[in-house]
Amino acid sequence: MSEVERTHRLEARELSLGYEDRVVVDQLSVTIPDGKVTVIVGANACGKSTLLRGLARLLRPRSGTAVLDGTDIAKLPTRVVAERLGILPQQPVAPGGITVADLVSRGRHPHQRWFRQSSAEDEAAVEAALVASGTDVIADRLVDELSGGQRQRVWIAMTLAQGTPLMLLDEPTTFLDLAHQIEVLDLLDELNDSEGRTIVLVLHDLNLASRYAHHMIAMRDGRIVAEGPPSELVTPALVSEVFDLDAKVVPDPLTGTPLVLPVPARHRERPTE
Amino acid sequence: MAATTMPAAARRISLHRRHGLVVLRGRRPAWSISVHPRALVVSLVLLVATFLLLAWALTVGGFPLPFGDVVSTLVGRGSEDAAFIVERLRLPRGLTGVLVGAGFGVSGAIFQRVAGNPLASPDLIGISSGAAAAAVFTVVVLGAEGPSVTVGALAGSLLTAATIYLLAHRGGVTGYRFVLIGIGAAAVLTSVTHYLLTNAEIWEAHRALGWLAGSLNGRDWDHVRPIALATAVLVPAALLLSRQLRTLELGDDTARGLGVRVEPARAGLLLVAVTLAAVGTASAGPIGFVALVSPQIAHRLVGGRTVGLLPSAACGALLVVGADLLGRRLFAPTEIPVGIVTAVLGAPFLLVLMARANRVGSGG
Repeated sequence: MSEVERTHRLEARELSLGYEDRVVVDQLSVTIPDGKVTVIVGANACGKSTLLRGLARLLRPRSGTAVLDGTDIAKLPTRVVAERLGILPQQPVAPGGITVADLVSRGRHPHQRWFRQSSAEDEAAVEAALVASGTDVIADRLVDELSGGQRQRVWIAMTLAQGTPLMLLDEPTTFLDLAHQIEVLDLLDELNDSEGRTIVLVLHDLNLASRYAHHMIAMRDGRIVAEGPPSELVTPALVSEVFDLDAKVVPDPLTGTPLVLPVPARHRERPTE
Repeated sequence: MAATTMPAAARRISLHRRHGLVVLRGRRPAWSISVHPRALVVSLVLLVATFLLLAWALTVGGFPLPFGDVVSTLVGRGSEDAAFIVERLRLPRGLTGVLVGAGFGVSGAIFQRVAGNPLASPDLIGISSGAAAAAVFTVVVLGAEGPSVTVGALAGSLLTAATIYLLAHRGGVTGYRFVLIGIGAAAVLTSVTHYLLTNAEIWEAHRALGWLAGSLNGRDWDHVRPIALATAVLVPAALLLSRQLRTLELGDDTARGLGVRVEPARAGLLLVAVTLAAVGTASAGPIGFVALVSPQIAHRLVGGRTVGLLPSAACGALLVVGADLLGRRLFAPTEIPVGIVTAVLGAPFLLVLMARANRVGSGG
């Protein structure tokens, strides 16, 4: 644990974020462990997506800073940031008439210039991203024609092609069926494992978060309630504090990670035996 | 380096195909471009067709000239008489049509891709209406003529565009909001034009109406020069910015994540697009629907793929030259202004587009 905390490239220092007159993230400080999968969880509107956008300089801070490699991210040229940190926003929309290979190749933007539209490195990175995401077989199809799961993998491939050591993904599994959720999470897990990329995810499903996260950050009302490895973090007390939910936590029979079993209303306040 | 790679390494320029694109690479200094072959072929075919229609148009007039004479004059080998008729009298009209059409094509393509909506065309969202209202104002109220009307139209479009942009801007610009505000602006400006016309002296109203119909009649080299200059500056600018366009159409957050400075890039693209539409409208009047349909036709001709701006430019040039020729031949000797021809042909296209857009859910 302590080693993980000592090495980090991305952190927030007393970061406050908001939209118009509403403060969503309030003086939050956090460090993202390098080379790990970090998952941010919390109820709707707790500020987890906002935090991710702040860390990726998509939102200008009210106060405080997001820090990348020791420098205030707002002071780094946006292109330099784009060479180190990739962000996949929530529900991105592809323009009509764009092929998978075309969309993925646009992830190379920060490495290209007008007179250098497709270098050998660009091509290699795009091919590698297509293969890693399993989208090489559909590379010449139109993105419009794909299923939701395939489309999400294409967007992840675009972020992969960007070739950044840090990847931030905002709810990459939302609106996917269970099989496609697992597919996407397995892909990210594999990328972290084989290439050592630092991955930060916002997820809704606590059980999947517990399975895939090395490090978990639980948020409520724009603040961090607790953070640490899921096995230590996820307890009935935490679930109650973060989600106002009455739940039992048992070990996942497959992975041994915490498995949250929400208690239905009918079973509440009743002696167990 | 291994001996087997030597021949490739020694070659200065390499060419290969990858995912439907032709990639050309050179070394020292390293450069590479990728081209969509079908887009290139479509552009060339459209340009050749434009040239042929232009040559045909040049045969038409008080002294009919054989097609062959026109072509040999265009390549510099015609008789002196033919050269006079073609170069002094007829070519300016044709060239104005080509430049105006290409400008509308590029402008429409940029607008539609920035807003992610085919209805976000300068002729629908008030850019042309702004030019028209300002031009009518300069004619009717200020009593201006010639270049002052052009300057007025230009100022009117830029002012309208800036107003729409500011009204539509709310932490970014979304296509739907942009289109709705633009259509509202178009309605307001059209009523301003009508108000000005109803209060005008009959002779000035007549002059203004001639401009409003959208016409290439009576264009001489003095009309060609400004639009040629504007095209020479703005089209390369659009091509330079098309790299940013490729990321902007993925949404603001994605573009920012890819290291694009979203606001300056979008403002730059829209400025180029507005100026192209404004210069075209100032030169030939509001020739409707060309900016709307050119990108859509080009899109279908290249097989439904998103490709660069050139096919749309070539398509716009062909449409304006073709519509002008049609207007002159259809009820000859009576001429129909080119703007009326494009409106008659373009309106059904708009209806089809709206019906289709709503079916696939991108109409709003």
